[in-house]
Amino acid sequence: MAESIFDLTLRSIYISSTAAAISFLLALIIALKLLDSSDKTRSIVIGVFEALVGVPTTVVGLLIYMLLSPRGPLGALRLLYTPIAIIIGETLVALPIAFTSMFRHLQSARYNVRELILALGLTRSDERSLLLRETAPILLSSYFISFARAIGELGVALIAGGGIEGYTSVLTTAIALQTSIGNYEYAIQLGCVLISITMLIIIPLRLLGERVYGA
Amino acid sequence: MELKLIDVWHSYNGVNYVLRGVNIAFSKPGVYVVIGPNGSGKTTLLKIIALMIKPTKGTVLVDGVDYWSLRDEGLKNNLKKNVVYVHDKPLVFRGSVEYNISLGIKSRNPWEWSKVVEYYMSRYDILNIRSESVFKISTGQAKIVTILRALLLGPKILLLDEPFTFLDKDRTRLLLEDIVELSKEKVIIIATHYMYRELDEVKNQVIELPLLTQ
Repeated sequence: MAESIFDLTLRSIYISSTAAAISFLLALIIALKLLDSSDKTRSIVIGVFEALVGVPTTVVGLLIYMLLSPRGPLGALRLLYTPIAIIIGETLVALPIAFTSMFRHLQSARYNVRELILALGLTRSDERSLLLRETAPILLSSYFISFARAIGELGVALIAGGGIEGYTSVLTTAIALQTSIGNYEYAIQLGCVLISITMLIIIPLRLLGERVYGA
Repeated sequence: MELKLIDVWHSYNGVNYVLRGVNIAFSKPGVYVVIGPNGSGKTTLLKIIALMIKPTKGTVLVDGVDYWSLRDEGLKNNLKKNVVYVHDKPLVFRGSVEYNISLGIKSRNPWEWSKVVEYYMSRYDILNIRSESVFKISTGQAKIVTILRALLLGPKILLLDEPFTFLDKDRTRLLLEDIVELSKEKVIIIATHYMYRELDEVKNQVIELPLLTQ
């Protein structure tokens, strides 16, 4: 008997939202640091992240597999084929898109924020909090984009997670498995759930976008 | 508070200078008017006086202290918060009119800002739009928001870059009244294209900037 859709969905949301949260925070820290760096460093880092946006998830999955396999450098941690392995992999998958979706906005908002901080003689902590407030809808969008990227990927979940039923199986691996054994009806149901979750992300995103640009 | 520019030069590209050898002292309260054609460096001069831009050459003395040589960030912040600049184009942030007006004063005076904000909003007749998104109000109203945001901080030196642009007749009159009143105790430096009669009557000095060709 295949695992229930409810359990699969919950596990998928848990793993992907955790990975998205970590990648979002890492992207934010890197972006804020990068705002103060030289033009050359900034261009190089942006270029690297933009190039990594399109990296195949199977390549990231393979990287995580090699790192976490028993003979790999982190093999002693025994994380291969666990939800943590998928979270690590999905974090790497979502990080470039989290960074690229927020950085340009932070950079342009920062110019105006800095102008105001200097004009009014406010402090550096005022600058940071005003910048985060000003870009809050963009940052929220960035988190949702990271989540969408993480929940929709298959390579990492399959290679590093193994798709173990009741443990590391997520919606995408379950769809792949059910299709391979000819259980198309169940695979389609899982696909519908995945699309529904993605839609539930896109709709708030659009509303947020309208609020930002239409405000 | 006394602020002096000594032989100040400024260039944005290291080749063309927008300011050359400027010497000015702001030692007593009053209105100082900066006039000059477009591109003569009025905004640059105001931003240098406002301690926002470090001049390429020259010294900026604040109460006898060379501001840009200071290493003590605390002392720098203390001096800087007494000098406030208002941009020519209204610089506003996502949020309501009230939020934008209270942006500076809220962090400086967390307990007593709301009454002062309310008074000024009422005086400039913008109480009815206090909850409106600042992106949905007119440019003139946004300009008032940015001027009030600066006035509320009560700086010792207030710099206004083209403050009357976008304002209607009534609000221009109110602002002129406030400037005249404030100038009894504070230094008000205004860059403007048009010399209003009220300003002409109270001005301490007119600083005329020529257009530099190279």
